[in-house]
Amino acid sequence: MAIAQYYPRASPIHRLDPRCKVVAVAALVVGLFLRSSFAALAVYGLVAVAGLLLSGVPLGWVARGLRPVVWLLVLTFVVQLLFAPGPAFYTLGPLHLSLRGLAIAGYLSLRLVVLVVASLLLTLTTPPIALTDALAWLSRPLRRLRVPTEELALMVTIALRFIPTLMQEIDTIMKAQRARGASFTRGGPLRRARALVPVLVPLFILSFRRADELALAMEARCYLPGAPRTRLHPLHAHRRDAVVLVLVAALVVLAELI
Amino acid sequence: MSGDAANGHAAGGGGPAGEGLEGQHALGVRCEGLSFWYDEGATRIAALRGVDLTLAPGASVALLGPTGSGKSTLLQLLRGLLAPDEGRVLIDGLAAGEDGYEERERRIGLVFQMPEMQLFAATCRDDVAFGPRQLGWSAAEVDDAVTSALAAVGLPADRFGARHPYSLSGGEQRRLALAGVLAMRPGLLLLDEPFVSLDPASRRDLEAILRGLRATGMGLVLATHDVDRAYGLCDARVVLDEGVVVDAGPWRFGAGGEDALLSHRLKLPFVVELWRRLGRAAAEAPPELAAAAEALA
Repeated sequence: MAIAQYYPRASPIHRLDPRCKVVAVAALVVGLFLRSSFAALAVYGLVAVAGLLLSGVPLGWVARGLRPVVWLLVLTFVVQLLFAPGPAFYTLGPLHLSLRGLAIAGYLSLRLVVLVVASLLLTLTTPPIALTDALAWLSRPLRRLRVPTEELALMVTIALRFIPTLMQEIDTIMKAQRARGASFTRGGPLRRARALVPVLVPLFILSFRRADELALAMEARCYLPGAPRTRLHPLHAHRRDAVVLVLVAALVVLAELI
Repeated sequence: MSGDAANGHAAGGGGPAGEGLEGQHALGVRCEGLSFWYDEGATRIAALRGVDLTLAPGASVALLGPTGSGKSTLLQLLRGLLAPDEGRVLIDGLAAGEDGYEERERRIGLVFQMPEMQLFAATCRDDVAFGPRQLGWSAAEVDDAVTSALAAVGLPADRFGARHPYSLSGGEQRRLALAGVLAMRPGLLLLDEPFVSLDPASRRDLEAILRGLRATGMGLVLATHDVDRAYGLCDARVVLDEGVVVDAGPWRFGAGGEDALLSHRLKLPFVVELWRRLGRAAAEAPPELAAAAEALA
């Protein structure tokens, strides 16, 4: 399980500048919430689906990305269906089924789906490092307010890079302690929390040691916090990125007017 | 290919007095058609394929193979940390789920690669006591087990018991982690690359400890790249390559026996390699070796 599942492929969406994609998806999300109409939702939905198809990412991966929100979806739908106010065609105590409730339930659920699909479009087509670069660039104005955006971006990049390593280590340490008879599934929450101590302590020690070594290694390669840094793959905006941004802006305006 | 690595060392129990660790009965393990796959995103990687193996109680076996051949996976399957995708593991003839299986499984000790990472307690004593405490032993039994385990690895409790694990040297930490497993009085000890990252002196210390354990009748499975130590400590070897057992049985050289190692990217034990070279025409051998051959003949 990866945090930001990236599916590598050479598609028009993959080739877009990550900054463009971040802004486009952000605009889509904002637009989605600005206007509550099925017509607007349909526009955004179509855009998201079109984007997905263009990206060539297998539908299985998209479905997997939706899985975490399935329960939220079901809950939203059911709650709205049963409790939303409106002329009812069936009541049973506090339960209150109405056509309006059905419409709201449908709208909210579909909106959630479009939201998730739009963000999946971003993470499936953009490698985490590129995403970090994009966010670092976009947040550069914050430097005026003395926010260390470059250093924060580096922290995120390092964290992302070491997540798989950490997960591997957790697995190994847990197995080693299980081999000594530890159990992480027995007992109530308090007992299970205590059972994690033999895993967390070594993990922390390993991580601190690694942080030390990494800092030394970076210094040995002349890293200086705050000094201007270049990138191996600098972000280049192309005309197609501008085109996409204009299109997205137009769509948002269209959705507002419908 | 079926393997019977049972030859060599006599079955367990009643060995010469080890450091208080003798007396526990050794376990015999058998694998039948063991297969295991790892899922890596969209792909499936076969770590083990149809492994058949027999380890008699008290046998000492070297598990050899290039990196990625499935040695660690096999050890973890034997200890029950992983569930086989195909096949089964039998301990003393019992299969998983049968009465007594779990109790025996707990008596297989597994020392991971770089086991120092499992150290977490505030004192050496506490860390070694972790295992026995999980087994639900009484305070007196735990105490006894901890003291004998620490003694067995050369870290006597009176000198090391109260020290913080991280204040120990690398070699000492390695031995402390081993003590943590020995305190559970295993009938079979599985070791995953125990010599890695140790300096030569620490390696010799560890080898001596393992030799001592062998003498108490404890079964040993040593997964390692250190063919020389494997040759010195174990009576038999199992060679794994790409998840398949390609050779199993007592050490044999000559008549193609070396191929089992050489054709799977393993080197021969130094002693064997030396004999090979000495066996060649004297004219080829450097003068010092020729003289040695003369002297040894």
